[in-house]
Amino acid sequence: MNDEPMNWPDEKSKLLWQRMGDVPTPAPKPEMRTQFYAMLDSFEQEEAAKPQPVWKQVMASFKQRWSAGSLGQLAYGLVLLSVGMAAGFWLQRPKDQAVAYQQRIDTLSVQVGEMRQMMMLSLLENPSATERLRAVGFTKDIPDADSHVIDALLTTLNNDPNVNVRLVTLEALSDLAHDARVREGLVQSLNRQESPLVQVALADVMVKLQEKRSLKPLRQMLRQNGLNDLVKSKLEQTIRELS
Amino acid sequence: MLRVKTGDLSKMGLLFERYHRELFGFLYHMSNNPDASEDMVQTVFYRMLKYRHTFTGEGAFRTWMYHLARNVLIDSVQQTKRAAYHQDVADYADRIGGGALADEPLHKAEEAATMQDALTRLNPDHREVLVMSRYGELKYEEIARILNTTEGAVKVRIHRAMNELKKIYFTLEHER
Repeated sequence: MNDEPMNWPDEKSKLLWQRMGDVPTPAPKPEMRTQFYAMLDSFEQEEAAKPQPVWKQVMASFKQRWSAGSLGQLAYGLVLLSVGMAAGFWLQRPKDQAVAYQQRIDTLSVQVGEMRQMMMLSLLENPSATERLRAVGFTKDIPDADSHVIDALLTTLNNDPNVNVRLVTLEALSDLAHDARVREGLVQSLNRQESPLVQVALADVMVKLQEKRSLKPLRQMLRQNGLNDLVKSKLEQTIRELS
Repeated sequence: MLRVKTGDLSKMGLLFERYHRELFGFLYHMSNNPDASEDMVQTVFYRMLKYRHTFTGEGAFRTWMYHLARNVLIDSVQQTKRAAYHQDVADYADRIGGGALADEPLHKAEEAATMQDALTRLNPDHREVLVMSRYGELKYEEIARILNTTEGAVKVRIHRAMNELKKIYFTLEHER
C-alpha cells in the first residue's frame, strides 16, 4: 500500500483499492536477467570499439606515456616555466620603457644641441661683443662640436676685434683641444695675435697642451720688434718648458 | 547512475538488480502483457545506457527511469495498436495459489480478472496514475515529477481515476 494516506470517502473506493492489490504481478522470467547482461556486454563492446574523439585519444596516449610521478614533475616544470616567463615579461617591460624614455631624451638633447649650435653661429656674427661672448659660452653646452663650430671659433679667435671675446674663445678652444684641427688652428693662431693678453694666454695653452709644434712660431714671435717685455719673458719661459 | 554516465557501464548491473522488478510491474500493469513487458524492460535499460548523458543527476534516478519507461510504453502501444490482452481466469487461479477452500482461489481469481479487465478499460492517463500509486508505491510528489505536473493535479487525477474505475468495475461485476 502506498505510504501516503489515501482517505477514500466511501467503502466502494476502499474495496476497489484493496482489490487492485489482489491483482497479481507476475515475476519476470529468469531469462530476462541473462538477456540484460548479454545486452550490457554487447553494449560495452560496442562502446569500446567506437572510435574515440581525438582529444580523448590524445589524453589516453598522454596518460600512457606519463605516469603520475612524471606528470607531477611535468606540472612542476610547467609552473616554473610560467613563473620564469612572467618574471621575464615583468622585468623586460619597464626596461623597454626606460630605453624608449632614454631614446626620447637623447633625441631631444641632440635637437637642443643643434639649436644651440645654430644660435651660437648666428650670435658670433653679432656686432655686440656681449652677444659674441654669450655665443662662445654656448660651446660648453654643445656636446659634439663639429667642424662648423670649430671653424667659427678659430675665425673668432683670429679676427674678433674684442680682446675679451678672443680670450674666452681661446678658453673654449682649449677645451676642444682633443681635436687635431683645433690644436693646429691654435698653433697657427700664435703669429696672428697682437694682444699681449691673448699672446700670454696662448703660450699658457701651448704649455698645457705640450704642443711642440708651437716652438717655431713662438721663436718667431720673440724676434718681433716692440714685443711687450712681460710677453717676451713669458714666451721664453714657454719655449723652455716645451723644449 | 552518475558512475555509468562517466563510463563505468558495469554499474548498470546494480541498477538493473535494484529496479527491474518495479519497472516490470509498472509495464506489466500498463500493458497486461508479461512478455512484452520483459522486452520493454530491456529496452528501457538499453536506452538508459544509450542516453546516459541525458541524466543530469538533479532529479532522482527513479524519476528518470519512469520517464524512459513511459516513452517506451508509448512506442510499444503505437506498434501493437494496444492489442487487448485477456487472460483466462484459470491463469489467475494458478498464480494466486491454493486456498483453504477449493472455490476460494477461483473466486479471488475472478475478482482479480475483473479488476484487470476494468483497469484495461480505463482512460490511459487514469490507469497510469493508479498503477504508479498502487503497484509502484510512488508518492504523489514523485508521480508529479514524472508527469511534470503538480502534486495537487495528481491527487485530482487519482480521484477521477477511482471514480471511473468504480463505474467500470461494478458494471463488469454486475455483468458477470
